[in-house]
Amino acid sequence: MIKTAQDMKSYKKQLKEALSDQFLRTALDNFYTAYRENRSAVYDGIDFESIKKEIATEKDGALPYLEDLYEEFKVHAETAGAKVHIARNAQQANEIITAIAKENNVKKIVKSKSMTAEETFLNDHLEKEGFTVTETDLGEWIIQLRKEGPSHMVLPAIHLSRHQVGDLFADVTGKKQNSEDIDKLVKVARQELRPTYLAADMGISGANFAIAESGSLGLVTNEGNMRLVTTMPRVHVALVGYDKLIPNLKTMLRILKVLPRNATGQAITSYVTWIKGAVECGASPSNRKVMHVVFLDNGRLALAKDPVFSPALRCIRCGACANVCPVYSKVGGHKYGHVYIGAIGLILTLFYHGIENDRVIVQNCINCQACREVCPVDIDLPHLIKKTYRAVLDQDGKTPAKNFILSRVMKNRRLFHFILRQAHLAQKPLARKGPMIRHLPNFFEKRHGFRSLPVIAETPFRDQWKHLRKHLVRPKYTVALFAGCAVDFIYPEHARALVTLLERHRVQVEFPKDQTCCGLPASMAAEEATARDLALQNIRAVQPEKYDYILTLCASCASHLKHNGFKIFKKDSDWLEKLKEFSDKIIDFSSFMVNVLDVSSEGIKATHKKVAYHAPCHLCRGLQVTTEPRKLIQLAGYTYIRSKDEDVCCGFGGSYSIDFPEISAEILKKKLDNVEDTPAELLVTDCPGCVLQLRGGMNKRGGKIQVKHIAELLAETKQ
Amino acid sequence: MPHSDFIQLMKEKAETVQAIVSKINHMEQAFRYTIDLTQKQGGKTVAATGLKPSESRLLKKACEASELELLEFPLRSHTHEIHTSLTPVDWGIAETGTLVIDSSSEDVRIATMLAETHIAVLPASKIKPDSESLEKELNAVLMADTPSYYAFITGASRTADIERVLAIGVHGPQELHILIVEEDSE
Repeated sequence: MIKTAQDMKSYKKQLKEALSDQFLRTALDNFYTAYRENRSAVYDGIDFESIKKEIATEKDGALPYLEDLYEEFKVHAETAGAKVHIARNAQQANEIITAIAKENNVKKIVKSKSMTAEETFLNDHLEKEGFTVTETDLGEWIIQLRKEGPSHMVLPAIHLSRHQVGDLFADVTGKKQNSEDIDKLVKVARQELRPTYLAADMGISGANFAIAESGSLGLVTNEGNMRLVTTMPRVHVALVGYDKLIPNLKTMLRILKVLPRNATGQAITSYVTWIKGAVECGASPSNRKVMHVVFLDNGRLALAKDPVFSPALRCIRCGACANVCPVYSKVGGHKYGHVYIGAIGLILTLFYHGIENDRVIVQNCINCQACREVCPVDIDLPHLIKKTYRAVLDQDGKTPAKNFILSRVMKNRRLFHFILRQAHLAQKPLARKGPMIRHLPNFFEKRHGFRSLPVIAETPFRDQWKHLRKHLVRPKYTVALFAGCAVDFIYPEHARALVTLLERHRVQVEFPKDQTCCGLPASMAAEEATARDLALQNIRAVQPEKYDYILTLCASCASHLKHNGFKIFKKDSDWLEKLKEFSDKIIDFSSFMVNVLDVSSEGIKATHKKVAYHAPCHLCRGLQVTTEPRKLIQLAGYTYIRSKDEDVCCGFGGSYSIDFPEISAEILKKKLDNVEDTPAELLVTDCPGCVLQLRGGMNKRGGKIQVKHIAELLAETKQ
Repeated sequence: MPHSDFIQLMKEKAETVQAIVSKINHMEQAFRYTIDLTQKQGGKTVAATGLKPSESRLLKKACEASELELLEFPLRSHTHEIHTSLTPVDWGIAETGTLVIDSSSEDVRIATMLAETHIAVLPASKIKPDSESLEKELNAVLMADTPSYYAFITGASRTADIERVLAIGVHGPQELHILIVEEDSE
């Protein structure tokens, strides 16, 4: 049975168990890297960005008409001899299927993989009613025998080793199995399950598509078990979510271009099958299959009308959002979802399985944007996860202390900055004059000690500014520096480096003094009202009309300021125009240097020092800036060294690394291991959050590689 | 792209998913191929669908001469014993090396699902560049008021459910052979 944590304390215990499961860790780490490599190869020559937008538009277009599509499907399927049903909820679906089984004197049932049947816990229900149910998909069969839920939507048994499967099959067959030989283990399933199909009275399948205009189902599979399940027994029941309804074959063929590629890295699966109506069946006295299609609502029709959450229904269950998730890759699906796992699982669980199963897990998103980038139907998953968390908080009617303090403090810039200044004094004795705190005081828990922490600067950048500001005559550009809290209060030297550098390039820098936190931490805590308030404060403080660009050294601030404002302001807000001007002028450091200033390597004394690069999530995915920083490293006379998984999150995620330090530490470890595997002497990145995490981790492990912000690197070049 | 390029692409793409592709000129070669392969694999039976009565008689004779049994219809009464199946293919899709088979007949389904080895005969003229170029034909089948079971088959059945290691031949055929018939070279 699925045991999803219902409170943070037991969740933390579960996470600890998962993190210490060595097999799981290796399996998921390997999968994480292999999936991303295979996927890019299989998309060769395919315009993923355009296709995903087209599919999203088609799916969205169908959502308001799901009930019409259902009627259309029903007419055509029933003309061809099927019977079509509606189940309003999971219980009803299970009861309808039980009634069909009883009506037809069914004893034995074979099943092919269906997430929808997992959603309704159909097997449990049928077994209680006295039916024998056998899962026939290899992975599903394995987990059924182990009485577990799937840990992945496409690879349900990915958490198990060949040895665990071998032992299980030895129990099933009563014969010892050679666990090293996976081919032989697969053949065990072939031999054991063959007679089961032949003896079954009823087959249950899901469907990937329900095509309204023809009343046919589309199924996408690899093993061949679904074909046997839908062919051999005299009764076939397909359990299908309303969200699988699509208008026509064209839409299905389009989705078929991305579903197998995203799910398993295949151009197409072994089998794609269309089933319509009651086909010929020799096992049935009438020589026609007894065919039923049950459409499950279970909240989908309400979701389809939801102005915020309806895009979640676009999901085609490819499972990719789990495959690219750094958190999933550390803890696995049993700890990263309820029935539906991965990013989409954190959202759908609230709607299909209730708040009690989502309350805790929904908080475990690091907001790295990897799922949003890979999603083949363009769902803004990280955004919807935060919206889901907001819905959880609202339903519970509670404000966690963190949220209360965050909102109170952040909205008042003077108070917020006062606290940051006080923090410097509080930290002073811990740092013992160095720039880092290596040993946290005892009132911190040990699990937070995976990285050294930087000291809050004695003089924040905002207080240094009046001495630094220079007035340039006829500058090439005038830019506003949006420092962000981390640069302003922890790393003012990054901003100083920038000012020096830009002066060389004749760029007039201004520092609008009333600027405050960008609002991302508030968004991350689902405090949207606070985030909106901060956005307004910043627009007023910066006055975008005065500048050519608004320059940031922080990828997270930049990405938040550029994109998220449009998500948190009302569509009719008076501020939209100003917001757009503000957003349009936001630029990150590397893009400004390369694309605006068009810097060259002329006159620079090359050191050829080897430099590795960490691509911040909010730069490479948030702003889609990928070539500029790498180019800039080379222009500055360094040798850029590629390391493995450069664009994978460093594990920081703002307050994530405080909420889930165990996971943050593991993600960081992998990142630093990858960098240390290269001959690099320096590690460079362009986000102060990443600098904090990487530098802290490197310091703690006593590593030799220096971590720098790319602006520091540039400022150090000798002319 | 000239049609011969699609034939080549079809072959390449099918081979990347472990199908074994050969070119033949007429049906009798397909029979020979079927019998030789079955014997080589130690099989005893052959199930063939979609043959003309004259072809069927010819295959039966050839099987008998090689001590193989050509299974009688309906194949449901032979579900435990189908070694090789020989079936025609309606269309090929070059882009993915896919076979398109109208499987509404139960015998076709059983032959393509339960055999250990599936041999599919694909006329070269029926190879289309991609699935979109088959949309009309496929939709015509699906839009009819009659029941249907339609299949895209790409390579042999497969799984990666244990440690993500690719294993071929799970519940469906363990081998897929494609014989491309190039009539114009006759």
